[in-house]
Amino acid sequence: MWFFDKYNDKKDGVIRGYDIRATKVKILALIIMLVCLLMVCVSLFPALWVFLASFKDIKEFTRNVTIFPEKYDWSRMLGTWNAFKFTKYYKNSLIAILGCSACAIIFNGLLAYGFAILKPKGHKIALGLVMWSLMIPGITSIVALFRNINLIGLNQSFIPIWFSFGANAFWVVLFKQYFEGIPKELLEAAKLDGCGVLQIFIKIMLPLSKPILVVVAIFSITAAWSDFLLPYLVLNGTDKTTVMVKLFSFKDTPTDAVSVLRAAFFAIIPPTVIFAIFQRQITDGAASGAVKG
Amino acid sequence: MKKKLISLLLCGTMIAALSACGSTEKAAPTETETVEETTTATDDAAAEETATEELPEVTITLGMYPEDTLVDDIAVFDGYIATYQELHPNVTCVPDYYKYSTDTFMPMVESGNCPTIFESWFTEPTKLIAQGAIADITDELEARGWLDAMNPSIKDLLSDSNGRVYGVPRDGYALGLMCNVELFEAAGLVDADGYPTLPKTWDDVAEMGKAIKDATGSAGLVLLAQDNAGGWHFSNIAWAFGATQLTIDNGDGTFTSNLASDEAIAAMEFVKSLKWDYDILTADPLSENWGTGFTQLGTGNAAMYIGANDAVAQPTQVNGLPVDKLAMTAIPAGPGGQYSLYGGTPYFFSKDATPDEINAALDFLEVMGKAPVATESSVAGMRAGAEANVANGVPVIQGFPCWVNQDYLDAQASVVNEFSNVDTKLFQSYFDATASKGLHLEEPGSTQDMYAELTKVLQAVLTDSNADVAALMKQANDNYQTILDSTFGAE
Amino acid sequence: MKAANKPKEKFRKRDLISWLVMLPSLILFAFFVWEPLLENIRLSFYSTKMYETVAFTGLKNYNLVLHDVDFMAAFKNTFSYTLWSLVIGFFVPMIIGVLITETVHLKGFFRMAVYFPNIMPSLATIWIWSYFFLPGATGVLNIIAGKMGMGPYEWLNDPRWTIPLIIITLTWKSAGSTALIYMANIASISPDLYEAATIDGAGIMQRIRHITIPSIFGIAKTMLILQIISVFQILYEPMIFKNGGPNNASISLMMLMYRYGYRDYNVGKAASLSVLVCIILVILSGIYMRATREKEN
Repeated sequence: MWFFDKYNDKKDGVIRGYDIRATKVKILALIIMLVCLLMVCVSLFPALWVFLASFKDIKEFTRNVTIFPEKYDWSRMLGTWNAFKFTKYYKNSLIAILGCSACAIIFNGLLAYGFAILKPKGHKIALGLVMWSLMIPGITSIVALFRNINLIGLNQSFIPIWFSFGANAFWVVLFKQYFEGIPKELLEAAKLDGCGVLQIFIKIMLPLSKPILVVVAIFSITAAWSDFLLPYLVLNGTDKTTVMVKLFSFKDTPTDAVSVLRAAFFAIIPPTVIFAIFQRQITDGAASGAVKG
Repeated sequence: MKKKLISLLLCGTMIAALSACGSTEKAAPTETETVEETTTATDDAAAEETATEELPEVTITLGMYPEDTLVDDIAVFDGYIATYQELHPNVTCVPDYYKYSTDTFMPMVESGNCPTIFESWFTEPTKLIAQGAIADITDELEARGWLDAMNPSIKDLLSDSNGRVYGVPRDGYALGLMCNVELFEAAGLVDADGYPTLPKTWDDVAEMGKAIKDATGSAGLVLLAQDNAGGWHFSNIAWAFGATQLTIDNGDGTFTSNLASDEAIAAMEFVKSLKWDYDILTADPLSENWGTGFTQLGTGNAAMYIGANDAVAQPTQVNGLPVDKLAMTAIPAGPGGQYSLYGGTPYFFSKDATPDEINAALDFLEVMGKAPVATESSVAGMRAGAEANVANGVPVIQGFPCWVNQDYLDAQASVVNEFSNVDTKLFQSYFDATASKGLHLEEPGSTQDMYAELTKVLQAVLTDSNADVAALMKQANDNYQTILDSTFGAE
Repeated sequence: MKAANKPKEKFRKRDLISWLVMLPSLILFAFFVWEPLLENIRLSFYSTKMYETVAFTGLKNYNLVLHDVDFMAAFKNTFSYTLWSLVIGFFVPMIIGVLITETVHLKGFFRMAVYFPNIMPSLATIWIWSYFFLPGATGVLNIIAGKMGMGPYEWLNDPRWTIPLIIITLTWKSAGSTALIYMANIASISPDLYEAATIDGAGIMQRIRHITIPSIFGIAKTMLILQIISVFQILYEPMIFKNGGPNNASISLMMLMYRYGYRDYNVGKAASLSVLVCIILVILSGIYMRATREKEN
């Protein structure tokens, strides 16, 4: 049977190609398949549901015991989009994301380069501090952080949002582990050729680190899109409001449930599109990036 | 200056390109400021040609400017600004929409971006005054003679212990019971003339709620149990059951918690029976807050909800209930009588505002028709507001008097009569009750903490049919006493 | 040639350049992470008005926090959160990883699908889940249960289930990415090991126990500590779902801190609670680091 034939070429996992001849293993393989399909449903259903529910009007949503809407009226969606001026929030989110992602790659990358390759005297102390901040969630000191941002007059600006992504211990660790795997000979050779510290980073390290760059870029893009607490405190009420800031502010504004759901739906679209396009790179990257952790 | 210096120093250590980007970003506002100043100066020069006395140049930021989705309200508000600019050419008005929320307020004040005048919640004065976050406007109000015009009890709510006043009421409110007429009609709860028969007592609420639920499937009553608003609404029920003093003011600056009285326990038992015996509540009271309650009422998912006269736009304009399908009656009576909580939604002023700015902002309230005066512009402001309400399908009804001077009250009454768009019979019992003795101010002490404790009990009794009400109220009483002792000192 | 004469000086210059390369990033760390932490410690000893310190009050803020009527509930809940996140949050990704490894059809699709919740903005998913857990007929899960002839259930309103359900939503969100990491580890196991085991007569379950589990043990330890740390960050789920209820059944320490800081405007009290949480985390991390180091030696 074609279903089981393919198991003969199976390269990884507990069930080996030779196992599949046994009926018991065949049944097991089928059960696993079914369980996996169920997991897919569980994973995807909430997003699908918010899409369907967004078509309902408020009366239908609060009263009807249904999953599917009565009709698929795009003008309702468009109405909410325009009423809340989502075009503007999308633009602002884009500005935030680009800056955040650039900062995440540049600053965390450079620091990891220092920890993994340069290892100047005393770097262990700095590394220790960075590792400890991995353990202590930033949210505990958000009040004090906000006070600092005010102190240097950077409130209501994208700058603190961008730079906040340049100090992420987790990504430093990802970079560091990857950099440590780069063959030392290449770096030695570059050094003998007279390359400076920064030149080595740009000419040797970065081209060799494409997979991890993709991982951090994608991680930081989705994280920046989803980030809301600091942006909310810094940007709320300005013309720089991002999609997530708007979504978070609904908790205090009497807004009907369907509008909130539609806003949530709008907030899900961009990451879903990115994911649909780059799914291969994202899933491969997410696995390979942290594989040595 | 100092801030800029620090920021420059810090930027200097960062990469040059990025710091350059930073300074342009910072330079931009300064530029606009200058431009604005020049415009003001020109305006002023023009004004000085006609006006004889020299007026100070003032800029005020208006936090109550409507949210950008409310196009109609913005048009009305822009009208206020235009009128105001004619009357006060020396003042520059800057719209600066700010929706008060506890988690953004302090960051905003800290960064110096607090609007000159902004709208807040009835829950906030004590806390904001204690933190020094808002301006003392006693002197400005005194000079205008507004202090005596303010409803004395509302003035107390906006004052500190020394009698200094920190806010101006936007609207007064008294709680009542809002009813969805469509559901009453569907359940046949109408009299011979076709008017809905509205509940008079809490037992009526339970019985009618049951009739409505049986007939329509919609819930009878929305009860809140998500946040402090739950305890806020519950205090009305407790008073009706005879627990008229949930917090006792000892007179020496200390307070005694009185949540575990037999009357209060009886009130909570009644709430419990609404869920487990009558089963007339919405599916999940623990997800209901002030805003969702109006959604349930407005969309016909529930027939009754405790709401105030200043929130009539919520079920109608926001949630789509036709304007003639909203009725309002007094808070139902219980074995202990009938009480309605009343208070005021305040405007506050930035702690950094100068007296000139505060006065300019108070002038603006006159143009909006929210001040205790009946000048031409003030009446025009009231009319513009009422007209917008009619256009948006919001009932135009009498406000609860936050100002008590007669000329203001007369002007307001005539505007309401002119624009009236509802059958006043649907609101009669509410106005009768709020004109009577049954008004009750919020409990003294640390009220928000009391609400929090009561809300926890509500959550427990609404999720557990076996909950021991007396024990839970005792626990809440002990907790609240602990809070009172640590806030005001032990007895 | 000259370099050979003074290697020490050259070394120093290189150190300096290296530090300069790292400096901008370190400044960012100092500004966004380290200084706020220290500032927090300072604030915790002061009474405050807005963000300004008013007077040194010693341990008064800590005393207030420890005697707060909601503190014990939040503290106890933390243990419950930790327990459930170990039961659910720790094992589910492992199981997902193992199961998907054992498929040959649609494998790429499965990997993608389980990872998908991870890229959804957490705020949007919290709103969505709150409608899933609605008690009564119109809640999404109750609609589904109703179709199967069950329910309606109370979901989050049943205090026994509030925390486990919150952990389930968190696991739903994050399990995919952890599972992918496990999968990559499993894929790197040498086929020879399995073949040798098979020759020794090991069945499928035995192979999982003796080969798969030990090979992902190392990464699992890291994931475990990250899991526990993330428990201390739980804030928005209980806040938006049930505002910490019913009757404090899901209130978390971070939520309490948020309340002190942003609802009561009591910065000093908020700071002292977050210092307490930091102390707990430092102790946990210390234990973890010591444990792993001993293992390595």
